[in-house]
Amino acid sequence: MNKKKQSVFFSTVYWVFLVAALSSHPSVSFAEESSGNKTFEAILSNGLKVILLENHKAPVVTVQVWYRVGSRNETWGKTGLSHLLEHMMFRGSKRFSAEQFVRMIEENGGKSNAFTSHDYTAYFVNICAERVAIPLELEADRMQNATFDEKKFATEKKVVIEERRLRTENNPQAYLYEQMAATAYQVHPYHWPVIGWMEDLEGLTVSDALDYYHRYYVPANAFLIVVGDFSRQDLLPKIEKAFGCLPSTQAPQQVVSREPIQKGERRIVIKREGLVPALMIGYHVPNLQNADGYVLEVIEGILSSGKSSRFYDRLVREKQIALRAYADFSLTSFDPGLFFISAEVLVEKDLTTLEKAIDEEIIRLQTEPVAMEELNKVKNQLEAGFIYSQDSVFNQAMVLARNEIAATWRCIDDYIPAIHRVTPNDILRVARQYMIPENRTVGYFIPLPPQNIESNNSKNLIVEEEYTR
Amino acid sequence: MNNVKPRRLSPYWWPLNFIFFLILFPSHSFSLPPTERMSLQNGLRLIVSEAHSLPFVTFQLIIDGGSRFDPPNKEGLSYLTAKGLLHGTIKHTSKQMNELLDFMGANLHTDSSKDYITVGFKVLKRDLFQGFHLFMDAITLPVFPKDEFHSEIQRTLGIIKSVEEDPKELSEREFFKTLFAGTPYGHPVIGTEESILKLTRNDLAAFHSSYVRPNRAILVITGDISLNEIKMDLMSRLEAWPAGNVLPTSHKQPSAQNTKILTLERAISQANITLGNLAPQRNNPDFFPMIVTNYILGGGFSSRLLTEIRAKRGLAYSIRSTFHFKKRVGSFLVSLQTKNDSAQEAISIVLEEIKKLQKEPVTDIELEGARKYLTGSFPLQLDTQAKLAGFLAQVEFYGLGEDYAHNYVSCIMAVTKEDVQRVAKKYLNPYNYTLVIVGNLKEGRFRK
Repeated sequence: MNKKKQSVFFSTVYWVFLVAALSSHPSVSFAEESSGNKTFEAILSNGLKVILLENHKAPVVTVQVWYRVGSRNETWGKTGLSHLLEHMMFRGSKRFSAEQFVRMIEENGGKSNAFTSHDYTAYFVNICAERVAIPLELEADRMQNATFDEKKFATEKKVVIEERRLRTENNPQAYLYEQMAATAYQVHPYHWPVIGWMEDLEGLTVSDALDYYHRYYVPANAFLIVVGDFSRQDLLPKIEKAFGCLPSTQAPQQVVSREPIQKGERRIVIKREGLVPALMIGYHVPNLQNADGYVLEVIEGILSSGKSSRFYDRLVREKQIALRAYADFSLTSFDPGLFFISAEVLVEKDLTTLEKAIDEEIIRLQTEPVAMEELNKVKNQLEAGFIYSQDSVFNQAMVLARNEIAATWRCIDDYIPAIHRVTPNDILRVARQYMIPENRTVGYFIPLPPQNIESNNSKNLIVEEEYTR
Repeated sequence: MNNVKPRRLSPYWWPLNFIFFLILFPSHSFSLPPTERMSLQNGLRLIVSEAHSLPFVTFQLIIDGGSRFDPPNKEGLSYLTAKGLLHGTIKHTSKQMNELLDFMGANLHTDSSKDYITVGFKVLKRDLFQGFHLFMDAITLPVFPKDEFHSEIQRTLGIIKSVEEDPKELSEREFFKTLFAGTPYGHPVIGTEESILKLTRNDLAAFHSSYVRPNRAILVITGDISLNEIKMDLMSRLEAWPAGNVLPTSHKQPSAQNTKILTLERAISQANITLGNLAPQRNNPDFFPMIVTNYILGGGFSSRLLTEIRAKRGLAYSIRSTFHFKKRVGSFLVSLQTKNDSAQEAISIVLEEIKKLQKEPVTDIELEGARKYLTGSFPLQLDTQAKLAGFLAQVEFYGLGEDYAHNYVSCIMAVTKEDVQRVAKKYLNPYNYTLVIVGNLKEGRFRK
């Protein structure tokens, strides 16, 4: 204990020294470190937050820029804009063409991609540690210099429409998920899917994207996170050089309408071509802003973490009514999200039986205190999972960044302690408070037999042989 | 609400879990972490790489007993045997095993592919000893109980249905079935509805007894463990695993085919297209020119296919080409999804790009880009315990040699433009190919 305190003290002194040494770059206005791990934070004078975590286990780094903008910032009729903008960010800037960008990354052995969610849009490059300056330069450039060519915009819109077909239109589970959210949220923007409605995508324009870019892609609305094999004193001047010159702009407001409290169960049925019946249940729940969030994290584990979990052991293995059954909860959503339960029916069983069996598990959570042995098992799993996740610098950065989006990356220090504080009584109370029919949406996917196919597809396979040369 | 939408398909998001695609290579400035290799008396090949920065250990066992060893009419046997390893042992029931493993926060999983069975295990250092014995129990002492067996059969039937519901998976399944028809690589790893319903527990026990043997296995251990600890605490158990008989091997090679076009009607808005041809096995002298060629054609984000089909025309979100290398066979394929009425156009572009690669040399910029990417991205392929273990196991399994990683950079750098053109002509076939289309055939004008 004493030893740990001491090392923290020395690190802090070191960091203050570093800031002093950087005083010739007056844009670094603030820096500190967390007590629980070795993560450091600095804020450049233009408002860009910088989060750094050294990890020397492999000679690689991940460089990520996260913007605090996602589909929750969109408006009715303009859904999918955040994600389409993310695509456009790969189509060139005033300094680098799209081809130059990809070449600079790939010729240096890097892997680059991006992802958009309800709450954020994030860009990453995983690359050899010695090449870290390259992604810094490219990310700083596209934070202010992206170009929006009409023709490329039209092409990229087509690409996104194909992406929507691939991910949602032709995937019954994803389609059900989308309909669930649209039913559970009526006012809050979690109502619409991240990729956007097909009908809205068609109508998005270059000027929509440009306005959005200018409003949200500013240093004060973003943060840079680097995890991997570097030293802070070498890296910070490089970051300052790349990003320090970006102009300071006010961060956009993040207020959106709150979802009114749900008054009564909502049920939906999706019928379309498919083969495996499925159901989803979504309960409105809090995130990590509320201590109950950590209780829900434990409940998620009790229900579906590992093969001894209640869902697997009872529904999949013992009763053999589910092909798969999962609970899914995101502690780090920006606004309160949904606690999802999803399950697919095992051959020849029906959805009503499956729903009833799931309900029994919910009632059990509400009525029987969880045995200490089972609770400790789930805590061990969450703790082990946390340790395993630190094996990858990419995952380490993801976990820090998601916490930063929801509140602050410092929440990560409290994750394991908060999990350990959860008691059997907490679980009873939280299950009784949120996991009630009045607060849920239930969705069924009922497959219709493929129209053009009689029974077994392989019998219907048309094989043509062509003889050419 | 963690519905993250990745922008492009990449291995990060879409693990190619049923296919071996080796993209693990060193750069100039990087060498493999130190590893120890040894062969035990019973034939088990053991590879160890220590890394003590995190308190856990990863085990990766691969067993030369993939679905290519399924006897005729018993397709799915290797897969069900692999799954059955977790159904209980002489010492514990399945339920007890699950409880013990979950209590440690350990992950134990088994699977089968066309070439081999894998058993992967991750455990905290503090539980290493107990965890290791559960891992070994599963491999060496399974009992394949009746109830668990029947329930696994039902789940497998469910998974077969899920594949039929997923047009992309369905398209690839039918592609491999057609390309490798009549060979042990043709049938799906999970078998078919007809074949798995005929399997018995005795089949599993017999398959286990023949194939799940140390003389057919490679065990890689990475992470927070020393060679000394292995020798002191684990070795006696590893050595006690009895060797099996050497089994005769015969292999029927697939025969070259004329163009085959398979169409599958589905009421969906996209055509799911898989196009390709036979290629040589993993261990072949043209491996390096082949991966360079593939990278230029459809491997990277600057590839010709991605540029023509996605960046210029917006016809598809996902478009990529791959060589799938196996122990005895290989294949080349292009996979894409596009709206039904663009399918014909996309297919023509793919064929034209392949022909162009055969007719004209690639540019200096393309060749240099491919070399730099393939060599420079190597460290990213080995930056976790599991990735390193997978790499070491596969180098051993495919007999690539101890100096494989060491020589990799020079092998890639030696590839010339002439090599690229030569292998494009030799291994890509835009005239005789297998093509599978799953989609709305009328909209795609594949059917009137």
